[in-house]
Amino acid sequence: MSGFYSGTDLFSEFDRLQRQMESLFGGLPSSLRSSRFGAFPQINIGTTDDSIEIVAFAPGVDVAGLDVAIDKGLLTISGERKAAHSDAGDDTRTYAQERFTGTFRRAIELPQNADPNKVQARYANGCLSVSVGKRESSKPKAIVVQ
Amino acid sequence: MNDKTQIAERDQEALARRERNQPARRMTLTPAVDVFEDSQGITLWADLPGVTKEKLDLKVQDGNLYIEAEAVVPTPTGLRLQHAEIREPRFARAFSLSPDFDTSKIFANLQNGVLKLTIPRRDEARPRQIEVQTN
Repeated sequence: MSGFYSGTDLFSEFDRLQRQMESLFGGLPSSLRSSRFGAFPQINIGTTDDSIEIVAFAPGVDVAGLDVAIDKGLLTISGERKAAHSDAGDDTRTYAQERFTGTFRRAIELPQNADPNKVQARYANGCLSVSVGKRESSKPKAIVVQ
Repeated sequence: MNDKTQIAERDQEALARRERNQPARRMTLTPAVDVFEDSQGITLWADLPGVTKEKLDLKVQDGNLYIEAEAVVPTPTGLRLQHAEIREPRFARAFSLSPDFDTSKIFANLQNGVLKLTIPRRDEARPRQIEVQTN
């Protein structure tokens, strides 16, 4: 059901370790298009035999202001999240402002076998799900042994 | 799949051992919040992507406000995870409420994965201008 999550905390331990290593060694080469850790929206990526599934956790974003585009194998999710509390009066005190506001852009390098003509995107409950189909030729095939 | 479940269970046991006095808990994410206060009371926004009304549990107990939620993202069968920035589908965060808030009048609204809570002050706790007599 929740295939986008793994049940253990081993991965986050690994992340922490990786970040520690990065700070120690000044950063190993990573994709030029990768974002810093904790960028908005957070993204999970998975694959099935037929498609590449991307979920962006972008709560409170206006669908009209959400832009999903594919250009030469690069999937871009961009948009803007407006501050929830715009009508702040003079007597309003702010105690916490942890939620992201402003414009955002995240890019995902799609594998060679992604088919840009087979893309579906859906926004529900604050999650943007993008499904990119794979080309027919790249789908797994059983090889018959003669 | 079996292997994964095994690792998860072992991990929970380790957690329970560490916090011996508390019941075994599952790992949870801390949702980002905005908290504002005006003369009427507190307004709190919390990011809970993938959470539906049915999977959101809000309760006030012993002067504390508990927000617990579980995200459900529909996924096709046979999905293999390749990159994950959110790994735990559970959110939990707790706040203590001072007695000048009226916990019986908390209003909650969940829309597009954002929870908005308004916690009003008790009438007697609202700021009042005191008129000064001069005679």
